[in-house]
Parts: sequence; structure tokens; C-alpha cells
Amino acid sequence: MKWSVLGWRLASFAVAAGLITLWQFAADQRLISPVFLPGPDRAWASLMRGFTSGDLLTKLAGTLTHMAYGWLLASIVGVALGAMIGSSKTMRAYVAPTLELLRPLPVSAIIPVAIAALGLSQGMALAVIAFGSLWPMLLGTIHGFAAVEPRLYEVARVLHMSRLAVIFKIALPSAAPDILAGMRLSLTVALILAVVCEMLAGLDGLGQWVLLSARSFRSADLFAGVMLLGVIGYVTALAMDAAESRLLRWQAARR
Amino acid sequence: MAEPALALVQSSPSPARAQIAFDNVALTLGGKAIIDTISLEVAAGEILCVVGASGCGKTTALRLAAGLYQPTGGSVRFEGEPMRAPRREIAVVFQDYGKALLPWRTAAGNISLALETIGMRAHQREARAAELLAKVGLAGHAAKYPTEMSGGMQQRLQIARCLAQDPKVLLMDEPFGALDAMTRQGLQDEMLALVASTGATVVFVTHDLEEAIYLGDRVVGLLPHPGRVGLELTIDLPRPRDQLATREQPEFLRLRRALFDFIKASE
Repeated sequence: MKWSVLGWRLASFAVAAGLITLWQFAADQRLISPVFLPGPDRAWASLMRGFTSGDLLTKLAGTLTHMAYGWLLASIVGVALGAMIGSSKTMRAYVAPTLELLRPLPVSAIIPVAIAALGLSQGMALAVIAFGSLWPMLLGTIHGFAAVEPRLYEVARVLHMSRLAVIFKIALPSAAPDILAGMRLSLTVALILAVVCEMLAGLDGLGQWVLLSARSFRSADLFAGVMLLGVIGYVTALAMDAAESRLLRWQAARR
Repeated sequence: MAEPALALVQSSPSPARAQIAFDNVALTLGGKAIIDTISLEVAAGEILCVVGASGCGKTTALRLAAGLYQPTGGSVRFEGEPMRAPRREIAVVFQDYGKALLPWRTAAGNISLALETIGMRAHQREARAAELLAKVGLAGHAAKYPTEMSGGMQQRLQIARCLAQDPKVLLMDEPFGALDAMTRQGLQDEMLALVASTGATVVFVTHDLEEAIYLGDRVVGLLPHPGRVGLELTIDLPRPRDQLATREQPEFLRLRRALFDFIKASE
């Protein structure tokens, strides 16, 4: 059992190493002009240079901040609103059609609207990121709260639990798997929108770094930025995994 | 539907001694009469079993007793006071233990839920939960999640959570209906022992006629469409009861016959 896990790990590393070798080979043989494709060695060197000079660190911090604020705002609003809508059948009936209409809207399309209303500002970025990452969380929470086992509400009544206790001890833990699934999706959306906003509004961050590097044909810097964005996506997903397996330990018992 | 040729027995109200009293209770849901005048009394410490064909409203009657439903006619009283909402002294054991337990809480955590609502402190809760788990034969399973337990264990856990309320009355809705025969018999005896030690009143709804006779001091048979009392039997079998000896007694067989005939006639 353990050996097979190890085997798969080794295999996945081998694939990654193979791809990087291929990349290096393509760059060395100049199959693609170095203006557009730097080798992994140059990209790595640029990454290190960016870190030592501190340039890239500021950009990284910028992107992380945009992402985190937008995502947190969306989480708070999404869970609170979702709990309200999800726990009331009447509310669901009234609000659901509107939500279905707004949900598939590509958020990038509302960026011009946000820029017109809020200017090329941090506030605009916050609004766009929060709006975009709101949906998976809102819909997840609504579904989670709507799907609470009715029997548990009866148990709560028989036990004379207070309204607050019912929300925090019954509804919220019951909806937690759906809420966390929404939060996971939102995390990706938040990263994408943070980059887009930085590109469009020239806000300090990796999006801006990547765009400016591309415009000035600094392909190594461009790739360094892209690599860093990949790392952000990967690490935040890992953190989410850890949070989920800790909060949803009881679901592991079910399997 | 053929009306069974049975003497309709209605207990005469004597509110002084009744812990739970149904006084001409009727319930209409969505224009349909579910229960049409049930008058019934349960004395403190009594074990009353309720049987009846499906659709006779036995579960509904239990929910009325729990205060989960309000009657549309007549009144349900607990110790003389009208039941307007569920009360802490009245615990309900639901049939679907899988739905009534919180899957995200361990066995101890599920019991703790009841202890939290009575405002017990954290350090006391742990000891009390362990004590209750031991009482229902689940000592050593405190850290298990319900999904890691068998059906019988989950139902024991639900009973332990009800006992955590320190109830005067246990309302049980076909609690052993989903369990296999061996587990069911074991739990019947455990329940009788628990009830004997706490002195709680029990109203036990079941579709298993033998179970009703085996457990009860009294068995009430309901007639369907709408639900009403059709039969009342006093069970004069010695206690403690025994799965083999009690079920072999001529009196047990006589009661069993009477109850089977009643159900057959009511269908």
C-alpha cells in the first residue's frame, strides 16, 4: 500500500522532470526564439534575482493581498447571505431565479462597469474579486443550508436549543462540506481575477509584472511571474485541503 | 372498510393521576382528518405501547405528545398543563437514528449536545457523557463517529442522548423497527432495565405486536382513517420479563391472539 503511493509520487515527479528537460532542450536548440521562450535555467535565475532585489516579493505580496481581501469579503458575505437564503424556503423561491441569472455572467465582463464606477483603484479590484468569488460560496452555502436533515431540526426543538445554537451547532456544521467546496472554487476564481485586475488597472502585483515583462520582451521575467502564480495556486489549494480534512474529519470516518 | 366488532374502550379521564393526557384530541392536516378524537391517559412510570395498522396515526399521536404538533381539536396535557411546545422533560427517540444523530459529532459529542442545552459545564459534560455511554453499553466508543457504529449501537447512542435530558417521559417511535431480530431483543431488555432504573414513563409506538405485549403495561390499538382508539389491553405479565419464558406464557399467547385479530379486523 505504502509502496504503491511512493511509486506514484516518483512517477509524477518523473513526469514533471521530463517536461522541464524537454523545455530546456527546446530552449537550448532554439526551437522557439529565446525572446519568447527562455529556458528553465534563465527563468529560475530571473526568479532568484527578483527575490533578492525584492521586486518580485512586492508583486507577490500585492497579488496575495488582493486575492485574500477579495476572497475573505466574498466568504463573509457569501456564507451570511447563503445561510439566510438557504434556511428559508420563501427566500429561496424569491431569490433563486435572480441568482441563476447572475451566476453564469462572466465576471470579466463587469470589470469595465466596476472601473467606470470605482476607477482604477484598489477598491475596484476588491469589488471585482469579491463579486466573482462570491458565487461558488453563495450557491454552496444555500445548498448546504437547504439540505440540512429536517429530523435534526426536530431534535433541536425537543432539546430546546436556542436559535443561535441551532445555526452554529446544527445548520453550519451540516452545511460545512458544501461551504468548503464553494470556498475552494472561489479561491481559484479570486486568483484569476486578482491577476486580471492588476493587468487592467496597473495595480501592484504579479499580473502587472507579467504584462509589463511581456510587453518589454523580458521573457525570463515573464516566466518567473507565471511560475510564481502557479505556486500560489498550488499552495493555496494545499492549505484548503488541510483545512478541509481537519474540519471534515467526520466525513473520512464515513468512507 | 369493515368496522371491527369490538367494544370501543376509552379510558375515563382522571387528570389527577395522569402524567400525559389526551383529551378529545383531533388533528386535521391539509383538510384531512389524521386523528379524530383520541382520549387517552398515561400514568407516571407506566409503559404504554401503541400499535395499529399503517395510517392509523400512531406516529402522529406520538408527535402530539412530544409537542411537535399542536392538536386542531381537544388538548394534550402534561402534568395537567397544556403542551404548547416540546419540553425538556419529554425526550423523543426517533426511528431513523441515522438521521437523528449529528454525523459530525462523536458519540460523546452527540450526548454533549443535550448536556450543552441544559447549560452543563464542559468538564462535567465529559464525565456525564462517559457515564451515559456506559449505561447503554457503549463504554469505550466515546470517540467514534455514528457512521463508524452499527445500527444497534447508533440507536443505543440516541437513547443515551435522550437520557442526558433526564427525561420524565420517553417517547419512542418504532425505535427498534430497523434492527435485526437478535439486536432488537437485546435492546428491548436493555430498555426495560434502563426504564426500571430511571422510573421514566414510556410511550412506545411499534408495528410489532409481540414487542408491544412484551414491553408494555398496557397496549392501545388504534384504528385507521382517521386515527382513533379501538382497543385497550392491560398486560398482566410478571416483571422482569424474559424473552423465552414470557413469550411462552398462555396469557402472552392470548393477548397476542387478541391483538392480531384486532389488527386484522381493522385493515
